[in-house]
Parts: sequence; structure tokens; C-alpha cells
Amino acid sequence: MADINSLDFKTFLANATNDIFDTMLSMKIEVFDVSSNAISEKDRIVGSVGFAGEVIGCMNIHVGYTFAKTIAGAMLGEEPTNIEEEGVLDVVGELSNMIGGDVKSRLCDAGLMCSLSIPTTTSGSDFTIETQGWFRHERLAIRSDQHVAIIEVYVKFNNSN
Amino acid sequence: MALKVLTVDDSKTIRMIVKKAFNPYDCELFEAENGVEGLALAGREKPDLIVLDITMPVMTGTEMLEKLKADPLLRNIPVIMLTAESGKDNVMQIVKMGVKDYMVKPFKGDQLIERVQKIYKLEEKTDAKEEIDTSNLYFTSDGGCKILTLPQKITRPVSSDIEGHMGNQVKEMVDGGQKKFILDLRKVTEINISLIKLVLHVVHTCQKSNVTVRSVGTTALRDGLKEFSETSDLIVDDSIDAAKSAF
Repeated sequence: MADINSLDFKTFLANATNDIFDTMLSMKIEVFDVSSNAISEKDRIVGSVGFAGEVIGCMNIHVGYTFAKTIAGAMLGEEPTNIEEEGVLDVVGELSNMIGGDVKSRLCDAGLMCSLSIPTTTSGSDFTIETQGWFRHERLAIRSDQHVAIIEVYVKFNNSN
Repeated sequence: MALKVLTVDDSKTIRMIVKKAFNPYDCELFEAENGVEGLALAGREKPDLIVLDITMPVMTGTEMLEKLKADPLLRNIPVIMLTAESGKDNVMQIVKMGVKDYMVKPFKGDQLIERVQKIYKLEEKTDAKEEIDTSNLYFTSDGGCKILTLPQKITRPVSSDIEGHMGNQVKEMVDGGQKKFILDLRKVTEINISLIKLVLHVVHTCQKSNVTVRSVGTTALRDGLKEFSETSDLIVDDSIDAAKSAF
């Protein structure tokens, strides 16, 4: 079984996100480090998936509503203005499923067997997400045009196993 | 004949992407949000192909696949699995389950079509097919009357096709000063919900444009229509001539 410390989560996140944006959205992104999960746009959506097994953890993507609409439009091949909120939330959920699915695969390939949850989304303008007690916590940001989204992953060993 | 494709995915986004990928081809798409709905639809529609997600609520794609493979009527339907997980163990498990192929997300619609074309030859929808004007199959004009002749059996596609023409046909009539519309039901041998809905649509469309509508049909049909509250008041004449003289 691999040591969680040896896994390069930032590269996993960056590669998976680049692949998704390139393949399904035809959008180029720039990846950079960031110190908090705060984004400038007030209205935002957080897409999350969880891992459970020999390791437990979660992956969150924080994205402003405007950027989320742009992403949804690109993924569905529609004008962003034509996409309703339900569709935007579904796209962010699917985005987190794909990024989280890739991280889960890297964990399993490293011998850290776990399952992936179905994605959930949280949206609003006045909430924070804080997590504590994780063994590894990695975060990065992506930029496309003037829009920024933040992607985080939290992992720890499951001591109940 | 159109290829029947069933997409089972809890994400509307993925279902839409799959639908768009098949759009240029002669395919009939069915959608389900989870394995339970997927199994029910598969049993009912007997699709030629199933595009199946793995991680879904209620019943996962893996569970649905097990049930498909256990059903003698459904086990031979080719399945392409979609998964967000590219790990070695996951891929091995999918292959062992007996799927025809699998795709790891992210994917492009074109890539999915490439996989499907290894199983089936997809027929592209031709422009001619898309642009055929079917209105002349149903609508004729005779002595200042517009006549809509319905076929023997009204299916949903037939009723959608006719409903799609109704607006233009009635507008043409009104623009040309015609105000008499005859709904010819004499060929109809089966009364079903599509027929009832279509009759109502025709009547309402005519009423909205102040076009007088009369119908023509057999005695059996007239009696049958009287049993439905929606069409119980419909006046059904015996012949086109009788309808014309009654205007």
C-alpha cells in the first residue's frame, strides 16, 4: 500500500482538470497555486464528491456562478444564457464527478482502495466550507479568461478499517 | 430502421451530450436516470444499444448490468459503459462484466460514435429525409374545404407529424379566405389516446382561428368516440358530402 504522502495530488488535479476542459469544453486553462478557497464572485457553486474505503476524503470544486454558466454552455454546446440553474448545477456536479473519479483512480492504482460517491452541489452567496483533521489537503486554482475556480482535495487514512 | 439507443446516466449533462452525439444519425434515443429506470426501459423498448454510467443513485450501472446479463431477453444487448474512473482495477472489472466497450470520462461525442460504429453501422440522417414535407400525405383541399385524412392507426410519431402541420395548414386556409375544415376519420380502425389527443388538437387549432370543423367517420368510430368525454360531443358525419352540406 502506498504512502499518502508520496502521491502528487496537485498534479492529479491539474492533469484531470486540463483533460476535461480540453476534451469536453475546448477551453484552455492556466493552473496556479492559491492560498484559500475564496473566490471573488459572490454567487457560487461548490461541487463535491467523496471517497470512502482504505482512505476517506473529498474533492471540492468552487466556481463562481458566471464561470459555471460559461462552463455549462461550453459542455452542452449551448449559449450560456440559455442554460437554466438546474443545468448549471448538473454540469458542476459532473465536473466534480470527473475530477474526483480521476483522483479516486489514482488512489486505487496506488493500492489505496476506495469507492466514489455520487456528486453533490451546494450553491448560494453566503456560506463557507471549512474542513479539519485531514492528513493531506491540496488546493489549486484554474483560470480561463478572467474567471477563476478553485479545486481542493482532502484525504486521510480510514482508521476504522 | 432507426437504431434504438438507451442512455442510462444520473447526469442530465451526460445524457444531453450522448443525445447530441447521436443526433446526426438515424437513431431513436431513450433516457433513464438510474439502473431501475434503465432496466424498465430496456425491458419495454428492447434497445439495440445501451450507454450505461456506473456511479448512479438507486441502482448503479454495475448492478443494472448484472441484471441485464441475467435476463435471457436482454443479455445480448450490447452495452458501452461510461465511467469517470480510469483505474486499472475498475477497468478490469468492467471488462470482466461482459460489456461490449467502455469509455472513460472525459469524452467527446465523436469518440462515443466511433465506439458505436464498431458495433453497428450508423446511418446518417439524410437532408432529404429531414426535409420531406409530409403534409400532402394528410391534407388536401376540395371545394373550398381543407380535408385532413387520418391513416388507419394513429401512433405518436404520426400524431406529432400532423400536429406539426396543423398551424400552417389552418393559417394558409385563413389567409386564403377558407373557413371550412373536414377531419376525415373513415380509414381509422383503432381508437387510442394518440387519436383522441390529435382530434382535440385539430378541433382547438381550428376554433382558435374561427375555422369551422366537422368530422367524417364510420358508425363504429362515431360510437367509439362518444365513449370518451373529450370527444363525446364531436359531430361525425357519414360522408364528405354530408359534412360539406352541413357547413
